[in-house]
Amino acid sequence: MQIVVDLNRCQGYAQCVFLAPEVFELHGEEALMYEPTVPADQRERVRRAVAACPVQAILSGEQAVADVR
Amino acid sequence: MAQDTLFRRITDYAHRADPYPLYAELRRAKVARQEDGSYLVGAYHEITALLHDPRISSDTRERTDPEGPFPQDSSLPPSFIGLDDPEHDRLRRLAMRPFGPPHTPGRVDALHGDITAIARELVAGLRHKDRIDLVDDFAYPLPVTVICRLLGVPHEDVPRIHAWTTTVITSLDISPGEDPARRREAALAARAEMAHYLGELAGKRRGHPTGDMLSALVNDPGPEGALTPLELMISSVLLLIAGHETTVNLITNGMLTLLRHPEALALLRDRPELMPAAVEELLRYEPPVHMLPQRTPLVDIEIAGAVIPRGVPLILVLASGNRDPLRFEDPDRFDPERPDNRHLGFGSGIHSCFGAPLARIETQIALTELLHGLGPLRLAEDPPPYRSSPVLRGPRHLLIERVDGG
Repeated sequence: MQIVVDLNRCQGYAQCVFLAPEVFELHGEEALMYEPTVPADQRERVRRAVAACPVQAILSGEQAVADVR
Repeated sequence: MAQDTLFRRITDYAHRADPYPLYAELRRAKVARQEDGSYLVGAYHEITALLHDPRISSDTRERTDPEGPFPQDSSLPPSFIGLDDPEHDRLRRLAMRPFGPPHTPGRVDALHGDITAIARELVAGLRHKDRIDLVDDFAYPLPVTVICRLLGVPHEDVPRIHAWTTTVITSLDISPGEDPARRREAALAARAEMAHYLGELAGKRRGHPTGDMLSALVNDPGPEGALTPLELMISSVLLLIAGHETTVNLITNGMLTLLRHPEALALLRDRPELMPAAVEELLRYEPPVHMLPQRTPLVDIEIAGAVIPRGVPLILVLASGNRDPLRFEDPDRFDPERPDNRHLGFGSGIHSCFGAPLARIETQIALTELLHGLGPLRLAEDPPPYRSSPVLRGPRHLLIERVDGG
């Protein structure tokens, strides 16, 4: 599973960090860092983070790969 | 009918089970001035713009007529939900420090096992019953147990917390009827007692941390310093109250909606990985908080061809924005796989729900355990009896029966 976060869209609500803290991380109050290749044991958490993003800025799976290309 | 009676009609209990046709009327009006001088907004893009506008205050002391609708509790200072930046930001950040990122990113995730265990235990207690009241038997005890454990309220004190929060929440009810002054007085007393109780509890945790949020708030101040004792009391009362009824309504509205949409229920039984997206759709379709009644413009605001004057009560009807056809395709359809679902179920902007990640996880787990832990179910009555409040809207009881042979 691959993810891409559209950082132009991200507004720092940090829902992804709460829901998948091993994949997403806040540096300071707002800067988001993340692991683009999701380990197998984090997939369920990342699915929750993707659904929860209030600005729908996280792309995952096939969609993310296609958009990156 | 006249637009200026919309609020009276929305708050009328007769429309509690289905306020949505009135919301459609509100959206057509865009901005609706009411007979009492307050203003109602129910269109998605206008609500979003106002929620992100720093000229809109959350502090009701900014109102021209402070004794108008929703008077301020003057015995204690407002909690951060009723303050503007920079004060709101400072208090919210200090309260966030032991709850979430950047300082405590793993707190909510770590509750997963606990919440699942509590939900399973409650579901196990339902199995021998033919008739379940989902509210009293499940949707209420789950979030209350979780929020008390998270904050560090001992189990034996939960009934006292229950009594206080019920009194406070009853006073938020803005439907006409009973004597509002008496209800308000009882709520002020309950809020003060709860603040005092939490202040004392935090005092006991000072120097004796027990791993909960209150312990962290008193023992682990950040670089900006700690909350003052009064700020700590007021903030923890807010978290406790907000962590109660809203999640109860989200779980109950969720089960009600799934039982009304058997095809969606079957889909979620087959594909549990869809539950996170389904909970987002529930937050859009049947949100637990229908409106934000506390906003006030600091200056005259022009929006959608109207002017909302400075100092008037401004009511943002989130549940109406969630059904706006200009934002959501086929908005009255419940679609657990809805794409690009940027709903207003948790608000938006700087006051967006503090406890959202906890509410999400609780509801995802609650509905998953209910769908998988019990056999086929059906509603015993539809619509169910609703709580009185048009703001925190949800069923008072939700009677569910087991379907034979399941």
